[in-house]
Parts: sequence; structure tokens; C-alpha cells
Amino acid sequence: MLSVSGISKYFPGVQALSDISLDVAAGEIHALVGENGAGKSTLTKVIAGVQPPDEGELRLDGRVVKWHGPAEAKAAGIHVIYQEFVLFPHLTVAENIFVGQAPRTRLGLLDRKGAVTAAREVLARLGVALDPQRLVESLTVADQQMVEIAKALIHRPKVLILDEPTAVIAGQEVVLLFERIRRLRDEGVAVIYISHRLEEIFQLCDQLTVIKDGRVVGSRKVSEVSRADLITMMVGRDLSHLFPPKPALTAAQQEPAVVLIAEGIDLGRRVRGAGLSLRAGTITGLAGLVGAGRSELAMAIFGGLPMDSGSVTCDGKTIRHMTPAMAISLGIGFVTEDRKGQGLAMLLDVAANITAASLGTVQSGPFLDRGKEQEVAESGIANYRVVCRGPSNPVATMSGGNQQKLLIARWARTCRRVLILDEPTRGVDVGARTEIYRIMRDLAAQGIAILMISSELPEVIGMSDSVYVMREGVIAGFLEGDAITEEAVMELATHHAQAA
Amino acid sequence: MSISSPAKSPTFRPSPHVIRLGLVVLFIAVLIVIGSVLTDRFARSTNFLNIYEQSTDLALVSLGQTLTILTGGIDLSVGSQISLLSVLTSGLINGDGSLVLPVCAGVIALGVLIGVVNGLGVVFLRIHPLIVTLGMGAVLQGVALLYALGPAGSTPDGFDALAYSRVGGLSVSATITVLLYLLVAFLMRRTATGRAIYATGDEPAAAVLLGLPVRRVTVLVYALCGFFCALTAIYLVSRFGTGQPYAGTYYTLESVTPVVVGGTMLSGGRGGVIGTLLGAYLLSVLNNLLNFMHVSTQIQLIAQGLIIMVAVSAYVERKKVA
Repeated sequence: MLSVSGISKYFPGVQALSDISLDVAAGEIHALVGENGAGKSTLTKVIAGVQPPDEGELRLDGRVVKWHGPAEAKAAGIHVIYQEFVLFPHLTVAENIFVGQAPRTRLGLLDRKGAVTAAREVLARLGVALDPQRLVESLTVADQQMVEIAKALIHRPKVLILDEPTAVIAGQEVVLLFERIRRLRDEGVAVIYISHRLEEIFQLCDQLTVIKDGRVVGSRKVSEVSRADLITMMVGRDLSHLFPPKPALTAAQQEPAVVLIAEGIDLGRRVRGAGLSLRAGTITGLAGLVGAGRSELAMAIFGGLPMDSGSVTCDGKTIRHMTPAMAISLGIGFVTEDRKGQGLAMLLDVAANITAASLGTVQSGPFLDRGKEQEVAESGIANYRVVCRGPSNPVATMSGGNQQKLLIARWARTCRRVLILDEPTRGVDVGARTEIYRIMRDLAAQGIAILMISSELPEVIGMSDSVYVMREGVIAGFLEGDAITEEAVMELATHHAQAA
Repeated sequence: MSISSPAKSPTFRPSPHVIRLGLVVLFIAVLIVIGSVLTDRFARSTNFLNIYEQSTDLALVSLGQTLTILTGGIDLSVGSQISLLSVLTSGLINGDGSLVLPVCAGVIALGVLIGVVNGLGVVFLRIHPLIVTLGMGAVLQGVALLYALGPAGSTPDGFDALAYSRVGGLSVSATITVLLYLLVAFLMRRTATGRAIYATGDEPAAAVLLGLPVRRVTVLVYALCGFFCALTAIYLVSRFGTGQPYAGTYYTLESVTPVVVGGTMLSGGRGGVIGTLLGAYLLSVLNNLLNFMHVSTQIQLIAQGLIIMVAVSAYVERKKVA
């Protein structure tokens, strides 16, 4: 169906793609695997006509094609579902699906009834029961994703490219998504599935191509590859020790001091009567499906969202109306999942971002001491191995992994007691990921109580000394030690959701 | 992968903001060259000293506007503030020299108070600053017209010295303005509050989670904007001898021009006051040059608009085609 041969693409300073070839057959789900920065996105853009290749050619149905812009690729049947949806939140599902090419009546007016009917048909083909007249803003992320796919389907795509579709959904939603992707495959669509979650590739895909540093490492049948093979192909080295070993607890650490207790926290309907306790020197996981209320609970503990009722007790001090400033002064840090929106000041430099939560420590008198700030920034950069040109490097140009390490460096300076990390490795490549895990272990070893929210089960299991599982706003269960297994966590996270 | 490669040794390269400032200076230089080619009276030191003096009002009001824009807001009531405060200044002094100091102090206090109300409106109504200050602007314009429908009061002899006195050829008021700019620039760079102003405009949600006093900072910038409006109003009264209820109308949008020309992003978080000062000078040079060329006011407006668009598009941060 789609054949890519000898594609190279050069950007100033980087050879983004060199001599990439791959074939995707109709009725096949082809995984495109590689770390962040390996060239997956660039390849997608070349295939979709967003960027022209410097060398090489594309064939669709055996014919050589050359795109002059994404519209041509679309018209020929190549559709991409990007991670960031291109939807209009204030329009309805049907209007979004037919945006730009709504069916018309004979008078040339928009045929609203026709659009609704056609939208319903497309959604039915996907097996989604969605009212086409609902506003997109009222949908869950998973349903919005379905609208995106439906949008592609009305063009009868030959090739459908999905860029990390599970980055924004979890649990049952993933299962449903996979079911629907298989349905499309069985209808003869060639699906390119981009992901760095290995489990998904083994569950879903037929064929895989690994890209590293802009080159194809290999193309295999998924059934002929083992997990370890795949990891070795991806990183070129053995990463079986992705997670640092959990320390064997000494007798004294068996009953480590409780640092923080959250009790009876209510937050509208999103969190109901949730509580948890964190112990010094341990990593506590907070697992659950997206939308279970984990981020909201963590945010409430940090004071970022006002809680309706409940309290947080830190070092014996009970607080009912927490604010971020109060949390920081108590020694609590918060690494948000939304690095761009809530974490970094993207326009400021590395130094300003590292000291942002602890400006008081780099002041002399009423004024900021730039020298002191530089020193602090340099030590943060060194300790947390942030790759950048120096303290005055602008943050916006850094990779996700380095931005994340920067955020951790910021909070490590202030969090004497508790560090909350919300999805600490989202959008972070495998190398930076192992470093973040190591940093988390180091911080725990210094006696800090860590609360880690994660949607990735292997991460929850690999890192947590104990785990709280949330479901629909309540704490569904608590697991410790060897009781932390994928099955146990999933059971708690989904049990009632399925019954309901 | 280069996760553990050592950070490259820092090489000197000017920050984008310094480049933007350089471009403004370059634009000014180009205008001066054009001016000296077109007319031999333009490039004389007396004319440059006049331009320096004439930049004062715009520079003063734009200083406050820069701060509101850096937080991601804007103050569209500056014009009405200046109108009201100017008409009050001359109306209340009304030729009585002994009232100059108390009235000026009161007008400054009133400017700050108006700014505080603006800031509180932005913080607590949680409406876009554009709307809050637009509303405030209408209210203040109404109050100004209730007080006087035309020029009101007068100023005592010698009050015009504020606007016109010079030392060694340099306008005192313009020089005080420059010193105010340098002071604000220093405070913005070197205090936690300055940092908080940038952070608030950059990512408000992040600033809140950092425990920064976002609300206090917001009120502060509007209060400072009111303060600089009051200074502008007093300066204008000194220059024209009387205040009138439409004295400030021109400044509402005009105060934004030097800010954006000087490289401050309208969405906040990036830029600085020194750029604004250069932007104000650029506009003064431009207007002066167009006057020398006997260009009609209408054409001046058109030229000004075009030059703003060209200048800003020269260094605007465009979306990268990644």
C-alpha cells in the first residue's frame, strides 16, 4: 500500500532521517518504534506531505507520489492523528467531523441533518455510541480521539497514522481503541502506529520498524521479536535495569516516620473523601485510570486546587486551606504533569526556572544575587544532568526529558519533606527516564517522601514501595511490597468501572 | 542519545531580546540617516535635543503600560486617567502656587488608587484586563467631563519649568524619565517581584503553583501604571499650562506602540522596559522627521502604522515549521 524508499531529510545541524525505507501493507498494523528524537515525527511529516524529503521517494499503491503540501496527501488517502487533536471545542461532534467539507443541500447550504446522520454512521463504523450533536468540549479525551479518527474515516483513508494515541488515555479506553484500530485494519486500512510503549506493540501490531537516530535499525514481524530484542534494537544497549533496585528495607525503615497525611479530601465530584499517608524515604505510587482524580488529589494536597473539605497534616501541622506558598514553606514540592502550562516559565532561562520556587535563597538584601543564582543553577544542571548550554539557556528549546530534569532540580531545592511527581516520565525518552528514576530513588534515600502519579503500570510496579489506587474519585485500595502486581492494580483501578 | 554528554562550554551569543533592542536602535539610525539626507536641518543637535524633550509624555505613560503588558494584561484606561488627572491638576491648582505640591501629591495618589481598583478588578472579577480597564476608562472619561467640559483652571507662573527646563541643553523631565526607566529596569531584573511579574505573564498557572504572589503582582503593575499616568498628566499640564478632559485620549493605544515596537510580547512574559524607551524614541524621531518633511497629519498616521508593522514583523517570534 505505502512504500517508503531511501528517504533522507536534513535540517540545519541535524540529519533527521537518513535512507529510511519501509513498506506498509493494506490490512496491516505497522508499529513505528523509536525513542523521542529518533525521527518518527519527521518521517510522519514527510509521509503526510507536511515536509518534503531531500532524497528518496514515496509510493502509494505502487505509484510514485510527490506531495506539494498536506492537502494532497490527504486527498490521496493518507491521514494522521496527531497527539494534539485538531478539534474545535465549541462545535458539535458532527460539525467537527465534517469541518471544511460538510454535506450540502441542493441550494448549497449546509445540510445539518445529513451531517448528523453521516456522522452517526461513521461513529457506528468505529463502534462508538456518541451523540453527533454533543459539543466536543463536553467529551472525554478518549471520545475526542474517536472524533479525530472519525474525521479521518470520512475520507476513506488508505493509510492511517496514529502518533502516540495512548499518551492521553488509559485502561479500558486503550482496550477499546485497540479494538477499533483492529477493525480498521480488517477493513483493509494500512495503519502506522507510533509508540514507545512496548506492551502496546506486542498487543496490537503485526509488523514493526525500529528507528534510531534517523536510521532504520530493523523491520520485523512482531511475532518473531521478544521484548528484550526490541529494547536492544531501540536503544542499542541493554536496558533491563530500567528501574533502580528497590532498597531492602532495614528494620528501622520498616516503620518509617509518616511525614504527610491527607484525610477526607473532597473536590467537587472529582475527588471524594480521599486520603493517603506518605512515609519518609519511600516512594508511594498513585495509580488509576486517567480521570480517576489522581492529579486533582495531588493538586489539592499541594494547594493548587482548593479542597471543599478535608485536611493535610504535614509534620504534625494540620492545614485545612492549603496554598502553594504554604506547601512550599512546609517543604513540599510538586512536579506537574503539565510541564508547559503549569510547570516551567517557558520564556525564562534555565537559571530563573531552577530558582523560581526558592528565590529567597539567592537574594542578598532586597535584590537578587545573579552570581549566587548562577552558582545554584550550575549545581542543579550538574547534579541532575540537565543538558543545556548553561544557566542562560532558554527553556523552550530543551527536550522533554531535560525540561523534566530541570523541574525536578527546581523542586529538589525546596522539598525537604515531600516531593509529588505527576507522570514524571511522560514524553521523556528512555535514557532520561532511567535518570529520573535514579534521581527519585536518590531523593527518597535522603529521607524525602515521594508521591508518584503514573499511568504506566510497569513504572508503578518498578518504582513504588507502596501504591494507592484511585477509581472514580475515591481511593480504591492500597498495595504494598510483593502485593503490587499489574493484575492487582488494574483490578482495583477498573473493577467497579466495569460493573457500572 | 546524549543524555550524559557534558554541557557545552557557553559561547557568547546575544540573547534574542538584546538583538531586538539592537534592531530598534538600527531603525532609529536608519531614520536619522534618511532625515539627514532629506533635509539638512534635521540632523542638528538642537533638533535631537528637541526630540529628546518631546519623547517625555509617551515614554512616561508607556513605562507603566509595559509592566501591565508583561503580566499578560493591558491598561486601556490610561487615556482617560491622564485626561481626568490633568483636568483635576489644573482645575484644583487654579493658579494658586501654594496648592501645587498638595494637588500634585493628591493627583499621584489618585492615579495609584485608580490603578489599584483596576488591578483588583482584574484579580477578583477574573475578567480580561482589556474589559476591566476599558470599562474603567469610560467611567473616568465620564467623571472628567462631569468635572469640566473643556480646559479648566490654570497653573501659576513657573509651573511650566517642570516640562521646559533644561540643564546643559538636556530636558530635565526627559532625563528624569530616563532615570525612572533605569530604576524600573534594575528592579525588574534584580528583585523577586520583578521575576514574579515575568513569571505571571509567562505562565500564570505555573506562577500560582510556584507560590508566587500573582494577585499582589497584578495589582502592583496596574497601580504603577496609574502612578505613571499621574506623572504624565502633571507633565502635560505643565507643558500646556492647563488640563483638559480629552488631554489623554491619544495615549490609550499610543502607549502600547512603544511597548510592542520595543520587543515586549503582547501576550506577556517577554520583553522589558528599556525596549519601550527605545520604542518611544523611535516614534519621536519618526514624528519629528515627518514634520520636517511637511507631511500632513493624515499621511503621518499612515506612515506610523506601516512602520510599526514593519518594525514588529522584523523581530516577531514566528511559529517554527518543525
